[in-house]
Amino acid sequence: MPDTPTEAPPIIDMRGISKSFGAVNALIDVDLHLRPGEVLGLVGDNSAGKSTLVKILTGAYHRDAGEVFIDGIPTHFRSPHESRDVGIEMIYQDFALCGNLDVGQNIFLGRWPRRGIFVDRRKMYADAGEVLTRLKVDVNSVYQKVESLSGGRQQSVAIARAISFEPKVIILDEPTANLSVMATERLLETMLELKAQGVAQIIISHRLTDIFQVGDRVMVLKRGENVGDRYVKHTNEHEVLELIVTGTRQTALTADEALAGQRR
Amino acid sequence: MTDVASKPKGRMPLDLIGGWEVGLVSLMVVLYIGGAVLNPAFFGTTDALQALLRDSARFGVMAVGMTFVIANKDLDLSIGSTLGVIGVVFSYIFDPAHYNMAVVPAILACLALGTVIGLINGVLVTFLRVPAFIATLTILFIGRGVILGLTGGRSILFALKAREPEYRWFFQIGEYNALGFNNQIIIALLVVTVGALVLAKTRWGYETLATGGNQQAAAYAGIPTNWVRIRAYVTSSLCATLAGLMTVAQDKGITSAAGLLTELIVIASVIIGGASILGGRGRVIGSYLGAMLTALLHKVLREGVPIVRTVEINGQPVEVRATSTLPAGAIPAFIGALLIVAVLIEPYVIRRKLPQRLWARLTGGVPPRSLEIDSVAIEGAQTRGTVATDRALSARGIGRFFARRDALAITLWIVLWFIGLALRPDYWAGLPNTFAILLNYTELALLTLGLTYVIACADIDLSVGSVLALSGGVAAYCLKVLGLDPAAAVALGLLAGTAAGAVNALVTVGLGLPAFIATLGMFYIARGLAAWLVAGQQLTGWTEQFNLIGRKVGDILNYFSIPVAPGLAGRILNVVSVQTLWMLFVATIVGVVLAFTVFGQKVYATGGNRRAAAYAGIDTNRVRITALILSGFCAAMAGVINVAYFRSFNPVAGQFRELDAIASVIIGGGSIFGGFGTILGALAGAAVITLVRALLQLNIITEAGSFSLPQHWVNAFIGSILIGAVLIDIWVRQEGIIGRIRDALLKRRKPDRRSRDA
Repeated sequence: MPDTPTEAPPIIDMRGISKSFGAVNALIDVDLHLRPGEVLGLVGDNSAGKSTLVKILTGAYHRDAGEVFIDGIPTHFRSPHESRDVGIEMIYQDFALCGNLDVGQNIFLGRWPRRGIFVDRRKMYADAGEVLTRLKVDVNSVYQKVESLSGGRQQSVAIARAISFEPKVIILDEPTANLSVMATERLLETMLELKAQGVAQIIISHRLTDIFQVGDRVMVLKRGENVGDRYVKHTNEHEVLELIVTGTRQTALTADEALAGQRR
Repeated sequence: MTDVASKPKGRMPLDLIGGWEVGLVSLMVVLYIGGAVLNPAFFGTTDALQALLRDSARFGVMAVGMTFVIANKDLDLSIGSTLGVIGVVFSYIFDPAHYNMAVVPAILACLALGTVIGLINGVLVTFLRVPAFIATLTILFIGRGVILGLTGGRSILFALKAREPEYRWFFQIGEYNALGFNNQIIIALLVVTVGALVLAKTRWGYETLATGGNQQAAAYAGIPTNWVRIRAYVTSSLCATLAGLMTVAQDKGITSAAGLLTELIVIASVIIGGASILGGRGRVIGSYLGAMLTALLHKVLREGVPIVRTVEINGQPVEVRATSTLPAGAIPAFIGALLIVAVLIEPYVIRRKLPQRLWARLTGGVPPRSLEIDSVAIEGAQTRGTVATDRALSARGIGRFFARRDALAITLWIVLWFIGLALRPDYWAGLPNTFAILLNYTELALLTLGLTYVIACADIDLSVGSVLALSGGVAAYCLKVLGLDPAAAVALGLLAGTAAGAVNALVTVGLGLPAFIATLGMFYIARGLAAWLVAGQQLTGWTEQFNLIGRKVGDILNYFSIPVAPGLAGRILNVVSVQTLWMLFVATIVGVVLAFTVFGQKVYATGGNRRAAAYAGIDTNRVRITALILSGFCAAMAGVINVAYFRSFNPVAGQFRELDAIASVIIGGGSIFGGFGTILGALAGAAVITLVRALLQLNIITEAGSFSLPQHWVNAFIGSILIGAVLIDIWVRQEGIIGRIRDALLKRRKPDRRSRDA
C-alpha cells in the first residue's frame, strides 16, 4: 500500500448505516470505506456489530438508514446474490462446502461449466487447478473429496471458490477461528497473495495478530458505533486494544486524522 | 507449496468403474449359484434368469427415481402405494366394467396423477418442512387405503380387452419380444442409462449431490435446493408410475396387493447400490444392480427348496416331492433386516474403512484415518425457537389455555364427542358405544405412552403397530402351539416386544442410525415375524383364563363367581374393562415419571438439544435407549391385551396403529423434532384419534337409509390427520404463523390509519 492511500476513490463506501433488531440498536450511524486492493481488519467485541455491518454490505440484511456506494454508484442489494454480481464475495465461517463433492466440483458449486447438456468435467477441473495454482494453495488434487481435507485446506478451497468469481472484494468472517497455527500461517500467505493480485479484503477477526500481519488498516466498532480506525503501519496492537476497550464515538479519529496527529 | 497442475492424479480405474459395483456383481453371482445349488429345478434354467431380469426391471426403474431422492438426503416411502394406485387408476379407466376408455387417456391420467403425488410429497417435505419419513409414510398409508377403497380388496382384470389389436402396442411392454427377452428389461435399461447420465454428468445431478451433501452450502451457491428436492420426488413418483404401468401391461389387470413391500425392496436396493441414507451419495447403476440383487434374494427366499417327504399312505411309506417354502412373513422380515444391514455398510465399512483397519490390524500396519465420523448420524443439534411456549408465558385467561401445547387435543376431543352425540343421539352416549370407544382407546393409549417418551427424545418409533402384532403373535403361539400356561405366555409376549424395542435401541443409539430407518426396518421385521410364527393363519382357542386380561371387570367377577352389585356400580363394572384400568395405571406411572422426575427432565433435555444435554453430563444414550425399550414394552402390553380381548390372534393386528399413535402424540402437544410432549396430552390426542375413527365408522341414518364409511377410507383419512397434525405443530406451535399473520395484518392497517390522520 502506498503511504497516501487517500488518492484512489473508494470501491466501497458505506455512509451513516443504522440497523436495529427490535429494541436493540445493532448499528448506529456507521461509516465504512474500502479502497481497491486494501486489506481492512474489522475488530471489536462480541455484539459490536461487525457481522451485521458486512451482512448489510452483502445484502443478507437490509439497512434501516444510510447509503452504500459501490464504485461510486448507490446500491440497495436485496440478497447476497446481487452483491456477488457486482464482485463482492463473502466467505462464511462454516466454509459452506459440500463434503461429499470433490475440490473441483466445490469450486464451481452451482455454476458447473456445461458442454451441451453435460457438465464439462475437463474444463471444470482445468479451471479449478488454475485457480488453485493462482492462489498457490496446497491441495493435492482437484479430484479429492473435500471432507477428506483438513480445516485449513477446506478454508483454502472456500477462498479459491470465492476468487474464481474474479471478485473485487472478498469478505472473510473469522477465517482463522477454527484453524491450527500452521493452517493459519498458510491462510495468511494466501491472503497476502490475493492482496498482491489487487483484491480488496475485509477481515472480521478476533485475532489482532492476524490483522497486523496482513492488514493495511484496522477499523474498530463498539456497541454498534465507529470508535476510530488506524493504519496498521502507524499503530500497534496496544493502541487498537485500548480503542476496543475504552474508545467512544466522541474520541473517534479516522486513520488519516490519527496519522496527521502523529506527524504533528 | 505444491504445484497442482503438475499432479494430474486422475481417478483410479477401480474408482472409475466403481469397485462397489464390481463387488455387487460378484455377490450376485455367488447368490445365484447358491440358489442354483439349493433349487436347481428353478435356478438351473434360463427361465429363472429371464424372470429375475423381468422382475428386477420394475424395481430397477423405481430405484432410479429413489436414488435421486436419497442422494438429496430425503426418503420416499410412498412409491409402493403409488405403483398400486396407478395400476388401479389405469384399470378403472381402461376396464370395460368401469369407464371403458382407450389406453392413451388412461396413461395420461396416470402420468398426471403420478406428477401430483410427487408434487405433494415434495411440497410437504420442502416448503412445509414435514420430515420426509412422516410425510411419505403417510402418503403410503393413504395410497393403500385408496387402493383398497377403490378395489374393495378384489382384482380388476381385463385380459380380453387387452388382446384387442389397437392396444397391442401397450400390452406388448409386458411380453417377451422376438429376441427372447421381456420388453420391460429394455425400458429399465433405458431409464437406468438416462438416470445414470443425468446424475453423474449433468448439472441436474450435481445439484442433487450438492443439496444432499450440504443443503446450506448449496443454497449459498445459488442452487434452488427446494426445487431440486421437489423434482427428485416427482422423478421418483413418475418412476413408480412407469413401474405401475409396466405391472398393468404384464398382468393385464391389477390386484389390490400390487406394490406391497415395494418401497422396502427399492430403498434397500438403492442403499445396497452404494447410496448413503445421510445424503450426498448415490449411483444409479449401483442402484440397478442393488435392485437385481434384492430381487434375486426375494426370489431365492420365495422359491423355496425342493424336498422329498415320506408320507405314510395306508401303512405304505410313499415318497412325495414337495417344495419347502418360507411362510409369507419371512420375506419382509428378511428384507427389513437387509435394509438395516445395508444402511450400516456405508457409515461403518466405507467411511470408517473397516476392512482396511482389519487388514492393518492383522498385518500389524498403521490403521488408516477414518473419514470424519461426526457426520455418521443425522443429528440436528439445535434448539428450535417455539413461539407457542413464549406466548404461553404472557397469555391471560382463556388465551392461557389455548397457548398450551395440548389445547388442540383437549378441545378437539370434546368437540368430536358432541358431534357424535348430535349425529346419533340414540346411540352415541349409550353404554355399548362408550364401551367400544373405551376399548379402542385403551389399545391406542397404551401405544402412545411409550411413543411420547421416544418422540420427546427427538427419536421416532415407526414399529409400534408391528411390535404389537409380534408380541400378540408370540403370546398366542405360546398358548396354542406350545401349550404354555397363561402367565408364561404373557411373559414371553412382553419379552418379545421388549426385545424388539431393544433392537431398535441398539441400532438407533448403539450404531448411530437415524431412528426412522432403524424402526422402519423393525416395522417390516416384526410384522413379518408375527406372520411367520403363525404361518399367516389366525390362531384361536385357548384357556379362558388368559382372555381375562381383555375382559370387563364384571366378566372377571362372574368368572370367579363373585356376585356383581346391582345399580350404578354394577353398570360401571360392566362397562370398564380391566385393560382400561391397567392402561390408566401405567399411564399414571409414566406420566408422573415424565412430568415430575429428574429422568423426565433428562428426556426433554435430550430431545431439545442432544449435544447440550450430553455436555451437561446427561447420559443421552441411556435416556434414548430407555425410551425406545419402553415403547417396545408398551406396544407389547397392547399386543398381549389385543389377543386376550379378541380371544384370537390375527397377523394383521395393529396395522396402521403406528399412524394413529404418532398422530395422537403430535396432536397432544409432542413435536416431531423432539423436546416436547406430555402423557396427558398424548392421552387426549389418543382420544381425538379414537373418536375420529368412531365417528367415521358411525352408521348415519338418513331418510335414504343408513350409511357408513368403509374401513379403508377411514385409514386414508387418519393419514391426512397425521399430516395435518404435523403441519399444525410446525407452523402454528413452532413458527407461530397465526401470530405472524396477525402482525402482518396489523402492520398493513397501521399505515392506513396514519394516512387518514394526515
